[in-house]
Amino acid sequence: MALSTHTTSTGFLLPSIHSAPPFFTQQPNPATEAIVIEQWTKLILSYARHRNLFYLRVEDAETGGDWDEVLRNDRINRRLPPTHLSSILAGMVAKNVATYEPAKQTRSVLLYWRLPEEWAEVLHQWASTTGQMNTIMTFYEITDPPVNSPLTNIPLPLLRKAITILAKSNRAQIIAIADGEGVRFFTPAK
Amino acid sequence: MHRRGVGLAAFDRKQTTKRFEELSNSISQSQVTHLNNQLTQFRTALTHFASTHRDKIKSDPSFRHAFQQMCTSIGVDPLAGPRKGGWWAELLGLGDWQYELGVQIVDVCVSTRERNGGLIEMAELIRMVSKLRGVSGGSITEDDIVQSIKTLEPLGAGYQVVDISGRKMVRSVVKELDDDQTTILGLAQEHGGRVVEDMLIQRRQWSRERARTALENMLLRDGLCWLDDQDEEYGRAYWVTSAMKWEA
Repeated sequence: MALSTHTTSTGFLLPSIHSAPPFFTQQPNPATEAIVIEQWTKLILSYARHRNLFYLRVEDAETGGDWDEVLRNDRINRRLPPTHLSSILAGMVAKNVATYEPAKQTRSVLLYWRLPEEWAEVLHQWASTTGQMNTIMTFYEITDPPVNSPLTNIPLPLLRKAITILAKSNRAQIIAIADGEGVRFFTPAK
Repeated sequence: MHRRGVGLAAFDRKQTTKRFEELSNSISQSQVTHLNNQLTQFRTALTHFASTHRDKIKSDPSFRHAFQQMCTSIGVDPLAGPRKGGWWAELLGLGDWQYELGVQIVDVCVSTRERNGGLIEMAELIRMVSKLRGVSGGSITEDDIVQSIKTLEPLGAGYQVVDISGRKMVRSVVKELDDDQTTILGLAQEHGGRVVEDMLIQRRQWSRERARTALENMLLRDGLCWLDDQDEEYGRAYWVTSAMKWEA
């Protein structure tokens, strides 16, 4: 009856702790629960990176969807209850690996499986290698390019954060354009 | 011709003692010197043997065990001596080896303590220590762990090898498992880690209150188990982490 890892149908390797029934229960012992939250945090971020998912909502624990492979384990008949997930999300926000998005609510978070600072570098790099420096681009062109990039489908709040970070180091500038928001990337003068 | 009695009747206790005393007095200084020389020669030979086979002692657990057995049988304690780790340790560099292993054991115990409450199964400890050491570490046996834990005693941190219903565990917190907890642990080991109140009531004839108190203490006070509140049978089950089997 050894607890083992398991590879899901989307090719994600679940850790052996995910096969342990108590892993899904919110632990009354605070020291134990701290470990549980830490493990769930790692698992959630890892899965999000694997599937390129950005949002996690408390209700994802109930409805079927993108997060099913992780939030439930049908082999042992366990699921993560919404209350427990809510507590885990709070933990992640406190650790700055997620943020409540939209602001001023606590049911939905934007996940930072890549930190905003890292996204900024990825963004700048992509603009550079695709020869789009010094040209004005719409946000849409970034999130929905003809060729898939690491930035494909990045949520706008996260994109804005990344651009703001680049602006601080003089590597991007937000431009007001006709239908919305645009941005221009450049290499800072040496 | 001397007429000394031959045969049992002639044995006079006092006389015998006296005769032995005379004998020992007559062992001359030269004989004592000779004996010392023999011992020195022997020690030199043993030293030579040890340093020649130092690498093998470090890398081969069965050879190491045989070497330690030999030391014990001739009355040489590999860890004794005025210097840290002993004279042997210095000679073989075994002191460092033992020390390194000790540090690794502490490392594993401390990092898993929150998960298992300071009690880890010997096999699991060996597995994790081996992982830490990597391929170049050579294989580590239970015997090595036991020896190493002996050297941790002066630390006063309470590292001890304990036996719970036939399974060797290493305890790294200064807390005695009370009898009830030992019973629960034994039961947990039989069922892959899972224990419920009813098991204790039916199989050990405990009262429900005793079962509940013991389990709740393990859970809340001592952090030795995890709670599963989605248990199909009883709604509430306790999983003793140190008794659960994890695949690598």
